[in-house]
Amino acid sequence: MIEALLKYEFLQHAFLVGGLIGFLAPMLGVFIVVRKLSLIADTLSHLTLTGIACHLFLTQHFSFFLQLHPLWMGMSFSVIGAVLLEKLRHIFHSFKEFAIPVVLSSGIGLGVVFLSLADGFNNDLFQYLFGSMIAVTKEDVWTVFFVTVIVMGLLMLFYKEILFLSFDEEQARVSGIRSNFSQLLFIVMTALVISISMRIVGILLVSSLMILPVATALQFARSFKQMFAYAIIFGELAVVFGMWAAFSFHIAPGGTIVVLSLLLFIVLLSGRKLLGLPVRVYRSKKEEM
Amino acid sequence: MKENDCIDEVVRVKDVFFQYHGQPVLENIAFVIKKGSFTGLVGPNGSGKSTLIKLILGLLNRRERGEIYLFGTPLEKFKQWSKIGYVSQKANSFNSGFPATVFEVVAMGLYGKMGLFRFLRKGEKEKIDEALNTVGMLPFKKRPIGELSGGQQQRVFIARALVSEPEFLILDEPTVGVDAASVKKFYQLLLKLNQEKNITLLLVTHDIGVMTRYVTDVLCLNKTLHFHGTAQDFETSDLSSVYKHDVQLVTHEHGGFHT
Ligand SMILES: Nc1ncnc2c1ncn2[C@@H]1O[C@H](COP(=O)(O)OP(=O)(O)OP(=O)(O)O)[C@@H](O)[C@H]1O
Ligand SMILES: [Mg+2]
Repeated sequence: MIEALLKYEFLQHAFLVGGLIGFLAPMLGVFIVVRKLSLIADTLSHLTLTGIACHLFLTQHFSFFLQLHPLWMGMSFSVIGAVLLEKLRHIFHSFKEFAIPVVLSSGIGLGVVFLSLADGFNNDLFQYLFGSMIAVTKEDVWTVFFVTVIVMGLLMLFYKEILFLSFDEEQARVSGIRSNFSQLLFIVMTALVISISMRIVGILLVSSLMILPVATALQFARSFKQMFAYAIIFGELAVVFGMWAAFSFHIAPGGTIVVLSLLLFIVLLSGRKLLGLPVRVYRSKKEEM
Repeated sequence: MKENDCIDEVVRVKDVFFQYHGQPVLENIAFVIKKGSFTGLVGPNGSGKSTLIKLILGLLNRRERGEIYLFGTPLEKFKQWSKIGYVSQKANSFNSGFPATVFEVVAMGLYGKMGLFRFLRKGEKEKIDEALNTVGMLPFKKRPIGELSGGQQQRVFIARALVSEPEFLILDEPTVGVDAASVKKFYQLLLKLNQEKNITLLLVTHDIGVMTRYVTDVLCLNKTLHFHGTAQDFETSDLSSVYKHDVQLVTHEHGGFHT
């Protein structure tokens, strides 16, 4: 493996990109899990696919789009979808979850239309769905790096606001935190991270990379800070070993990464049970009633 | 009245009406809370106490009619939220598994005051310790918030409201789920905050007997404002006896609900 890594440039690129998303995805995932927004992550990843399908369609008619990285279009769709989701969640205030199926199915529908028009049901699509390490270009690395810097910057700027909002929205608003703005910012950041993660993990599996390491971290963390540390460690472990396994056994990396995260979750959870430590369940008081 | 005309007024409510989906909840409410006062807000269940407080805090913005001023500024333009501390009635309805420590929760009370890109400094950490010490929760500093009892959580939320050193503190039934001995200590703490630190207090409670011993003013609400005056006047009014009787019942029901 090490030999291959030294020999093939695309592999080096793949591991660079993987390393970055193994860090970013669980980090945002911490907020997604505590805010119970897992379905939103799924919705946004499907919108990324719609964007990529749109790009595919456009390249067949306008040569200009050939120069553009498909990820940019994917990201745009995902971000626009994120803004739309926020708006819908305000309109259907008492039925917030209603916004998700509306945006999700519209996105998939539109994506299928674009794909059909572009004759896109081929190998490329398969890579977008389940991830790939083949032909990860320098351009991919730069795109992912660029987005990483932006998201990290925003997260550092608005960490306090987003944390307080996640914990208790009403109190956050009384403290003078602009909840709508921070909420929108957060969902846009999520859209960006999902789009870049897609390159390696694939659309269908992005949300698991955001959720599973966090679920595992929840068992160990005794503070919010520790949540990040554990989630990132578990995320990176899954990505690095998942990519190694994918390369060695010719499997789509999305599959190995997610299966590894799941194994990590199961093994560590069983370990806790065997040691007689409590297994923590995350739920709100509302659900307990 | 011009803005900032009376800086000794913390809250001014003028002819406020409010309804939830066509159901009138507050009618023709008008009162002033003076700086340095300790006001008790009482009334039976569903009388609109929490609604009134949420209106004052700008959490409900579909006000039908009327005006609200905070520190002499119209609510719509008010920005100095760190001057106000708030402990909501449902303070512990947060996600119980939220992986944050007591320290991290209290730190949130400072977030509104801190600028972007700022992290806690030494002085701020000391303030958090001090607030925790005030409510007697310092030994629990590093414990996850979800692993505390309801009453302990309530104290942590009070510490969070105190940490930003507010000039005006609003507490909506903060002692629900707090044991009798602690309730007494809690009232003494409020008295200390009021008298020594000159913090203006607005306290919603059903515990009229205890409350009247500590507060300076009483607001009596049941859709409309039935009484607004000093604690002494309230004691001698008919309302006091009526409410004492009513509310005794209410308190018991209430306790039952939360356990
Ligand atoms: N979100 C809401 N939607 C619709 N009606 C509401 C809502 N919240 C409160 N109400 C209604 O408004 C009225 C006043 O409620 P409020 O919570 O202000 O009472 P309260 O005086 O705080 O009561 P308690 O002593 O039980 O806390 C009640 O009749 C209640 O049914
Ligand atoms: Mg109430």
